[in-house]
Amino acid sequence: MFSERLSELSRRKFLQLTAAGVGAASMSGWLEVLAARAGAAPAPTAAKARSCILLWMDGGPSHKDTLDLKPGSKGAGDFKPIQTSAPGIEISEHLPGFAKVMKHGVLVRGMSTPEGAHPRAKYNLHTGYREGQGGLIYPSIGSIVAAETGKPESSVPAFVSIGSRSFGSGFLGPKYQPLLVQDPVRGVEDLKAVVGDARFDKRVTLLEEMETAFQGEYRAGAITDHKTTYERAVKLMHSKEAKAFDLTLEPAADKSKYGTGKFAEGVLMARRLVEIGVPFVEVTLGGWDTHQDNFDKVKALSGQIDPPIAALIEDLKARGLLDRTLVVWMGEFGRTPNINTRGAKPGRDHYPKAWSLAMFGGGVRGGRVVGKTDADGAAVVDQKVGTADFLATVCELMGIDHTKKNDTPAGRPISIVDKPKPFTSLIV
Amino acid sequence: MRTLRLLVLFALTVGLVTLLGDMTAAAQPANKKDKRNKKQHDPVPAVTPAPAVPAKPITGSVGPKDAAALARLIDEHITRKLTEGKVTPSPVCSDAEFLRRTYLDLTGVIPSSDKARAFLDSADPAKRAKLVDELLDSPNFGRHLADIWQPKLMRRDSGNRFVLREPFVKWLEDSFNKNTPWNVFVFNLLTASGTAEENPAVTYFLANRSVDKLTDGVAQHFLGVQLQCAQCHNHPFTEWKQAEYWGMAEFFSKVRAENPKNPNQGGDNSKIGVQEGPIRTKARDFFPESAKTVPAKLLGGPSPNLAPTEPYRPVLARWMTAPDNPYFARAMVNRTWALLFGTGFVNPVDDMHDENTPSHPELLAALARNFADNGFDVKYLYRAVCATQAYQRTSRPVSGNEKDDHLFSHLTVKVLSPHQLYDSLAAVTGLDKAPAEAAGKAGNPKRGPANPRDGFVQFFLAGAEAASPTEYEAGIPQALKLMNSRVTGNPALIRQFAAPGDQPAVVFERIYLTALSRRPTPAEVKRLTEYVSKAGTPAEAYGDILWAVLNSSEFTMVR
Repeated sequence: MFSERLSELSRRKFLQLTAAGVGAASMSGWLEVLAARAGAAPAPTAAKARSCILLWMDGGPSHKDTLDLKPGSKGAGDFKPIQTSAPGIEISEHLPGFAKVMKHGVLVRGMSTPEGAHPRAKYNLHTGYREGQGGLIYPSIGSIVAAETGKPESSVPAFVSIGSRSFGSGFLGPKYQPLLVQDPVRGVEDLKAVVGDARFDKRVTLLEEMETAFQGEYRAGAITDHKTTYERAVKLMHSKEAKAFDLTLEPAADKSKYGTGKFAEGVLMARRLVEIGVPFVEVTLGGWDTHQDNFDKVKALSGQIDPPIAALIEDLKARGLLDRTLVVWMGEFGRTPNINTRGAKPGRDHYPKAWSLAMFGGGVRGGRVVGKTDADGAAVVDQKVGTADFLATVCELMGIDHTKKNDTPAGRPISIVDKPKPFTSLIV
Repeated sequence: MRTLRLLVLFALTVGLVTLLGDMTAAAQPANKKDKRNKKQHDPVPAVTPAPAVPAKPITGSVGPKDAAALARLIDEHITRKLTEGKVTPSPVCSDAEFLRRTYLDLTGVIPSSDKARAFLDSADPAKRAKLVDELLDSPNFGRHLADIWQPKLMRRDSGNRFVLREPFVKWLEDSFNKNTPWNVFVFNLLTASGTAEENPAVTYFLANRSVDKLTDGVAQHFLGVQLQCAQCHNHPFTEWKQAEYWGMAEFFSKVRAENPKNPNQGGDNSKIGVQEGPIRTKARDFFPESAKTVPAKLLGGPSPNLAPTEPYRPVLARWMTAPDNPYFARAMVNRTWALLFGTGFVNPVDDMHDENTPSHPELLAALARNFADNGFDVKYLYRAVCATQAYQRTSRPVSGNEKDDHLFSHLTVKVLSPHQLYDSLAAVTGLDKAPAEAAGKAGNPKRGPANPRDGFVQFFLAGAEAASPTEYEAGIPQALKLMNSRVTGNPALIRQFAAPGDQPAVVFERIYLTALSRRPTPAEVKRLTEYVSKAGTPAEAYGDILWAVLNSSEFTMVR
C-alpha cells in the first residue's frame, strides 16, 4: 500500500518535472520505473499470447445446444452432436466450422459462476468482481490487458470493442477505455477529421502553438497529459494502422470466408486489429437470451458465428498468429438443462451453475476439455472453474501477473484477479 | 511487514464481501411469477410510528454572518504556512482568470461573451465580490452542486437502472439553490420517508437498498470517513473496528425500500417508496452472524438507548448533523475547499483519519467550527472562500512555488468535469440541450443514456464514478470525439462569430471572449491575423481558430 503511494508520488514528481520543462523525460521513462518495480513479481515466462479476441455471446448461450450436448438426457433438445477435429470432442451439429478448428482449441465445460441476472453476470465475467463489491467500479478484462500490456506512446489503441459498449476501465480511469466500433462497416467513430487532411494539419499546428503557450505559462501536469493524449489521437488518425479499421481494404475472397452480417464483419476487423498489434478486441453478438424459441434461435445464431470463427482461427493459423492470439468464445452464463414450459415455443432460462466456453490459440494445446458436467448438464462434477479462475488463466496466457495490485484513486490496492485457481497448466 | 498485513486484511475484505454478495441477486433464475407473488406479501407498512425524538436536526442560534472575517481568518492561516515553508505565493489573478474560474467553480459553466465583456470592462472595485454573489444566486449553482452530488448518492449500477433520477436531481438542485443549511439537508435526506413522488429525497434509499451501501455512503459522503474496510475486519490504519461498522449499519436495519420495477413492464417508479418500519427488515439478514448482536452505535461515540419501536434513522441523523459532531462540518468544509482548490486539506477528501494528516489542521478545525456556528450555511462558506487572497491567486506558478501542491501558493489548474465540459461546449456551440421529457428517464443501459448530456458525461467518465480535477484522464476516444465529431466540427458554427466583412480582430475577440472568457493578447492577434491571411477564406480560418480554441487545454481546464 505504502509503496503504491510512493509510486503515485513519483508519478506526480515526474509530471511536475516535465511540466517545469526539465529535460526531455518521456512517458516511457516513467513506465520503465513502473516496470522495474513490477519486476519483483515476474510474469510467467511461457506466456505466448500477445493479443486476445473476446467473442462475447450476449445473453448467455445454451451450453446444452452448443458445446456440451447431452443426448438422451432430460431436456436434451433437438440438436445432434458431431465429431470435431479433436478426437473425442463432440459439439453441436450446427457448428461444423467450429468443429473443424476444434483441434486448435480447448473447451471449458466446468464453468460455474455466481451471478444469474444479465447485468451482474456480465459485470462479473468481465471484471472478476461482483457489482458493488467494496463500493468500487472494477475494470473489465479488456481494460486490464490494455493497462498491463498496451504501449502508452503507441498510436495503436490497446482495447477495441466492436458492436457494443462493453464494460469499461472502472477505477483504472478513462485512459484504458475501449475504442468503440459500433458498426464495423463504418469503422471507428470520429476517426476521420471533418475537414481535409491539409486543413486538419493546419488546425493541429495551431492547436499545438496554443498548447505550448498555455503550458509555458501554467506548467501543470494535466496540460502535458492533454497534449500527449491529443498527439496519440492525431497519430492514430494519420497512421497506417488506422487502415485496419477499414474493411473495404480486405480482399473479397478473404472477406467471403467470414460470411455475412455485423458479427462476421466484427470478427474480420478483430483479425485485422490483431495483425497490427492491438492487445484486446471484444466482438459482441447479442440474441442469446433464448427464454423463448430456444432451438430455432440457437440454430440461427450458430449459423451466424460458425463461418467467422472457423475463418478467424484458420486465418490466424495461416498467418502464424494463432499462437500469439488467444480467442475466447463465451457469454455471461449457460442456460437451464431443462426446457421451460412457457409459450408455444419454449426455451431455456438463465443458468450460471454449469456452462461452457471455448478458448483457441494463445499457446493452448488444442483438443482438450477442462471440466465435466453431469448427465443432464446441470452440475459440474469435475474441475469446476469460477470467474476468477478463468480470468487468471487468461492473464497467465497473456503474461500478465494477476496477483498484481492496482491502486484505486483512494489508494486501495486491488488485485487484478482475486484469489483464483488458474487452470493454465491443464491447457498449455 | 505492515504492507503485507494490510494486503492480507484487504484480501480478507474482498473475500468476505464476495461471500456476502448482494442478496438481491439470486444465482438461480427465479420464476418471475413467484417473485411477483412474493412482493405482494411484503408490502410497505402504511403507518410510520410516532418518533420518540422530534424528527428535526439540532440547530444553534446564529448571529450575523461575516464572510469577510472568515476570509481574513483563512488567509492568516494560509499565509503563515507559506511563510513557514518559505514558499512565495503567486500574485493575484487577472479579472479574466477570476471570471472564468468562479463561473465554472460555482455554476459549472463558462460565462457568455456579454457577461465576460461587461465584467472585464467594469471599473467597480467590488466587482469580484458582486460576481460571486450573483453566481451564488444563479440557478446554475444548485445545478452544478447537484451534478456533483447526484452520482455519489445514486451510484450507477444495474440495481439502480429503474430508479427515477430526475426528481431527485431536481430536489438536490432546489435544496442547494434555496441554500438549505447543510445539516438540515443531510437530516432530511437521511430520514426521508414516503414515495419518490411525495418526497424525492427517498431516492437515496431507493438507490442504496442495502445496509452496507448506506453505511459506506453515509460515512464517506457526510462524515468524510472510509468505513467500508471495517465491514469485514478491523480497519488496518484507523481506529475503526468491525463493531463500529455494524453499529452504524444497525441504524438502517429498519429501513424498507421498495424495489424499482421495469417501466417497460408497466412499473411506475414514482409510486415506490421508503418507510422506516417498527420492526427490522430483512436487511438484518445481511449482517454476518458476529454482527447480529452488535447494538446500534454512533461512530466513535456511544450506543444510544433505542426503544425497539422508535425509528432509528433520526437518532443517527441528529447526532451526525449536530454542530458539535466531530466529523460532519469538517467533511463538508474539506470537500468544498477541494472543489474550489482542486485538493482538500485532507486527501482523498473522504478518507479522513488520524494518520492522514491535514495540510492545515488548525485552519480545517477553525473552518469547520465557523461553518457549524454559522448554521451550516453553504453559500456563506463559498462566499468566504471565494473572497480569500488564496482563492484569488493566479494559477501561474512563480519561481520557487512550482512544486508546491499543498500550501496553496497558487491555484491548481483544474480539469473540467464532463458536466462542465459539456455545458461549456454547449454554451459556445449551442449543442442540443437535453429534451426535458427524455431527461426524466433514468437511462436504460441497453438503449444507452437518456439524453445527449448524460451520454457525453458517461462517455467521458468511461465507467468511473467521478473525474479527478487535477489530472487529465481522457483517452484517445474522447480526444477523437472532441476533434472530429459535430461537437466542434459543425461548419455552421462559425457563422455566429463571423459575418462577411468583419474585421479579423473583432472575430478573434468574439471567439476568445465566448470560449475563453478573455480577449486575445496582442501577440495572439498578430499570429491569428497571419493565419487568416494565409488561409483560403477568412471563414475557413475562423473555423480553424474556433476548433483549436475548443480543443485547447485552456478551454478544457480552469486556470
